[in-house]
Amino acid sequence: MLNPQRSLSELPKMSAASQVERAVLEEEFNWLLKEEVHAVLKQLQDVLKEASRRFTMPTPGLESQLKQENFILGSSTMDQVKGVLTLQGEALTQADINLKVTKSSQVLHFQFREDKQWKLQQIQDARNHVNQALQLLNSRDESYHFKTGAEVNKLMDAVMLQLTRARNRLTTPASMTLPELATSGLMKMFTPPMPGDVMVNFYINLSKLCLTVYQLHVLPPNTTKNFKPTGSSVLHNPGAMFELNNNRFEVSHVHKVECVVPWLSDTLVFFTISLQLCQQLKDKISVFSSFWKYRPF
Amino acid sequence: MSGNSLVLPIVLWGRMAPTHCISSLLVMDDFSTIITGCHDGQICLWDMTPDLEICPRAMLFGHTASITCLSKASACSDKQYIVSASEINYSAVMSPDFLVSLSCPLCLSFVVLQFYQFPIGTQREGRLLCNGHYPEILVVDATSLEVLYSLVSKISPDWISSMSIIRSHRTQEDTVVAVSVTGILKVWIITAEVSRMQDLDPVFEEESKPIYCHGCQSISFCTFTQSSLLVVCSKYWRVFDAGDYSLLCSVPSDNDQAWTGGEFIAADKVIIWTEDGCSYIYKLPASCLPASEHFRSEVGKTEEGSVPPLIYRIADHSDKQLLICPPVTRFFFGRREPFYKLLIQGDSAGRLSLWNIPDISQLQVSSTISLQEAFDKLTPVSAGIIDQLSVLPGKDEPIKVTASVYIPSQGRLVCGREDGSIILVPATQTAIVQLLQGEHMLRRGWPPHRTLRGHRNKVTCVLYPYQISPRYDQRSLVSGGVDFSVIVWDIFTGEMKHIFCVHGGEITQLIVPPENCSVRPMAHSLLCLQISYLLGFSGALDRCVMGITAVEILNACDELAPATMDALSHSAVNLKQAMTRRSLAALKNMAQHKLQTLATNLLAADNADKGNLPKYSHNALVVQAMKTNLTDPDMHVLFFDVEAVIIQLLTEEAQRPNPTLVSPETLQKSQAGADKGGSFLANKIFKQVKETMKETIKEHLLDEDEEEEEEMRRREEKSKSLSLLEYNLTMDTAKLFMSCLHAWGLNEQLDGICLERLGMLRPHCPISFGLISRGGHMSLMLPTFKESLLRQLSLATGRKLTLSDIVGKGTYGVSRAVTTQHLMSVISLANTLMGMTNATFVGEHMKKAPARPPRPGGTPETPRRTVATPPQPSNPALQAQIKQGWSQLAAMHCVMLPDLLGLDKFRPPLLEMLARRWQDRCLEVTHTMCRASCNITWFIFFIKSVFL
Repeated sequence: MLNPQRSLSELPKMSAASQVERAVLEEEFNWLLKEEVHAVLKQLQDVLKEASRRFTMPTPGLESQLKQENFILGSSTMDQVKGVLTLQGEALTQADINLKVTKSSQVLHFQFREDKQWKLQQIQDARNHVNQALQLLNSRDESYHFKTGAEVNKLMDAVMLQLTRARNRLTTPASMTLPELATSGLMKMFTPPMPGDVMVNFYINLSKLCLTVYQLHVLPPNTTKNFKPTGSSVLHNPGAMFELNNNRFEVSHVHKVECVVPWLSDTLVFFTISLQLCQQLKDKISVFSSFWKYRPF
Repeated sequence: MSGNSLVLPIVLWGRMAPTHCISSLLVMDDFSTIITGCHDGQICLWDMTPDLEICPRAMLFGHTASITCLSKASACSDKQYIVSASEINYSAVMSPDFLVSLSCPLCLSFVVLQFYQFPIGTQREGRLLCNGHYPEILVVDATSLEVLYSLVSKISPDWISSMSIIRSHRTQEDTVVAVSVTGILKVWIITAEVSRMQDLDPVFEEESKPIYCHGCQSISFCTFTQSSLLVVCSKYWRVFDAGDYSLLCSVPSDNDQAWTGGEFIAADKVIIWTEDGCSYIYKLPASCLPASEHFRSEVGKTEEGSVPPLIYRIADHSDKQLLICPPVTRFFFGRREPFYKLLIQGDSAGRLSLWNIPDISQLQVSSTISLQEAFDKLTPVSAGIIDQLSVLPGKDEPIKVTASVYIPSQGRLVCGREDGSIILVPATQTAIVQLLQGEHMLRRGWPPHRTLRGHRNKVTCVLYPYQISPRYDQRSLVSGGVDFSVIVWDIFTGEMKHIFCVHGGEITQLIVPPENCSVRPMAHSLLCLQISYLLGFSGALDRCVMGITAVEILNACDELAPATMDALSHSAVNLKQAMTRRSLAALKNMAQHKLQTLATNLLAADNADKGNLPKYSHNALVVQAMKTNLTDPDMHVLFFDVEAVIIQLLTEEAQRPNPTLVSPETLQKSQAGADKGGSFLANKIFKQVKETMKETIKEHLLDEDEEEEEEMRRREEKSKSLSLLEYNLTMDTAKLFMSCLHAWGLNEQLDGICLERLGMLRPHCPISFGLISRGGHMSLMLPTFKESLLRQLSLATGRKLTLSDIVGKGTYGVSRAVTTQHLMSVISLANTLMGMTNATFVGEHMKKAPARPPRPGGTPETPRRTVATPPQPSNPALQAQIKQGWSQLAAMHCVMLPDLLGLDKFRPPLLEMLARRWQDRCLEVTHTMCRASCNITWFIFFIKSVFL
């Protein structure tokens, strides 16, 4: 490989040796733009196509033909909450939740109403971001001739932006306040209806499908306890308080159960691989950046 | 509206236009302004003449990420606001009238914004419809950017790719038509009840129909027939019936073209453009025309129809520069005379291209200009801060400045350049050369500067560590370059002290570890210099620690300095400090918007302030290097803090022995007093001088450590002989500032007085000012603004004008906020100078800091010090003349300006700004007169500083 320091120091002199070296570099750079970039883009496209295939895109009218997957959510350490969720594409179509109430050792059972399904926005967002990244790559196939390194960098930046967003959507679930959760449409999806002292939340965290169940108790209006409403969070802790319709609540128990969705972990791996490919391509381009002055390559 | 401090920026753009890779564009309704947003987050305003000539006017700084969308935010033409949205959860409402006015961070990023006026009762309220990376369409108030309600899909909700708003004349309803990423057409009907809603109840769609349009790029409504919709997808475009959304025709793209948008240009014509910048005008088939008997004849047919006739193809210009990303194309209609139909394209090279599309098939006018071309056309070329020192003989282009830092305590600017050299130059002097005419034009290599050579290639970063923390030696300057080396320099002697070469890569950044950092080996007796440098590729963190034991005593002395400072109980000093703090706070606000390097300097200033260091004396001027893109050379913005200038002037005035009282006896007395080291006044001046020049001599320790002091002084003397020209920084700053602000060319007689008596200098050409607004946003006028100004004024006066004719005429017609700031600055400064003795910018006293008493002790005086007090133009007549000059200048700006300029070229000051100022400060505002003209009642204020 080249030695940037040496050739840089000789640059002003432009001795015969550095002239040759420059010519070689230029040739190498042209090879990079003509051959290597397309090879990497092809590889990227393949990886992203695989990722995109995991997120099955619903065809209008044919949503029901999507594959259904059942996930049993549980935890090894506690058995108060158990859930069986059915994921169809990006939506939860069925849910069965069993909740063992600690006080009365009574078991509550809820399931989704027949007419309802719950869309997991995180999956949809990740899918759309991947597809946008793919679209960016599709417009630059083998027939396209890259003329500058900056062009490649710009394309990589755009692709990486979409990929990072896709990944972030899966890795960072929306943080919500407890009143937001209580008033969300999710509470109205169950039969029998959720009692006022139970709240649930579904989200994706990395490759895991998570279910959180909050048990609440109403704070008496003249309580001496210091009332301080908690802000938004992905997972609220016992003791978190909030006010809704002039009633004050406190979270007494929090149960979190989860289950790995295998195809989500695949996509996360694909995201990482493609981000790496992008960065490596950018690095390859930047090796040559020192040999051109401003607005270089 | 610069927070609570009056800071005026003046910008030196240099010859290279800033990178402006256009990501979005907008034409204002009156077709006089084009607005472009770029990938780096700047917004550029372009003037457009009725004959479609374009010229860039100003650049707005505020966003930190790529601008995704620009939209107008008000319907009326007298108050034009635009909204800009960027990728990182942030949008701003701003007025293209040069003033960034309002900004609010939002929790959702808007990818697309559309302005629309929804009816609320009898009125129509401005609303913005936003879609982005979420399944809803948000309806947002156009002035407050508050989310009012959202349009939600019940059936297969997904992201919205594009949307359009249709106003039906038949039903008087507003319909929002959108296509989701999965290709489902959604329709929402906005009734008056809906638009009145304030709570966040969602509005569900009226209709949801799969139209199988994947990758939808744009959707637009035919305003001519009101009965068809054009949907452009990357691989085909389709026309739909706007009534039942049935497909009328579908046209695939030939070969590998990817369509990116389209619009109806007539009832039977559409224009579609591609990703690579070509546009095609098609004639629609009869089945798409409601006027035709074949309308809807193709509905229900499955096979693709034939490609409709292509009427015209607008190719990309042949001399197209290499583009690094697809250009942005938009089509705009003129709603009033001359009813232009403009196709506008902005590309990655900062180029705007215009095509006027007439109804007949032949293209008439097209014009194109890039930022760089506009810069290249300028004569004289746009000045860079050290251009006169950087143009090598035999070359046209100056050596580019790649990294710079300003040392406010010395008023010096350090510029690292692409050839590896570093220039140290007095900032005000070099700015005077670039901006103003004068005798300095005849001198070569002016101002005196020092060149440090050591790097073998581009300097990438320079750092003055003392500015950030006083624990560093104030002589040290550190620089890093692409040649892998880090060099430590002595800025007083110009000596290269150390060079470190690390085989890790190019040096990209130099950072000083924070004060409370655990790696800080700060022993009290040792002065340490440590630099962490993050290396380009490896990202490895390396650290160099070195002790300079020789300056150990100096450091100890430095620690004593603050204590002695506090003893100065002069009110002016306290005031001065207070003022400085306030201005720093304002500057800190500014730092919030990532003007990358800005943070460093301000942090430095802030830290210095905390350390109670006497920095205030020079913060009247801050020079900040900026670049819009990492690959750009530095451009420099001079920030003048008007209050700091005034306070410094007054402080120096207070410390100067009153010349009317100076008789030989008093002079001797004061000298004698200084000899004893007991005179309060002398002592004070003494200190002032010390601060001003930032020297490290601790003369007050002379009595105790005579020998040590001697040695130190000798060293200091040595370095002094090598140091740059001494000059009075405060007066120089005031000179530069006043010369830039004065409205030249309006009153010949006054101009003469300014030049000869007051010592001001005339600018080469109109100066690019800027405006700092609330929230740390900033707008800067591009050097090309004067071209359109020149054209405008030439047209108005009917004769050919040159740039030097319009010097000073430009800034008062820019915007009301600019006028207010400039008038306040010029009047308050003139008033201050009026109250000072010897307040002229010509004469010996400009050469150095104010009166410095002779040194105690028997060492021979250096020639510089022989003048104990400035040569007093004690002639009272002359003094009176100077005072009269300043008062005439103030009077002209205060009262005569609108008459001299003509009301059409004068934007009256903003009353509320003046009033706020008056509240904020203890400024005595004398309301002198009030008159009405052209329906604008405006007040003229005399602003008089209480400090006078």
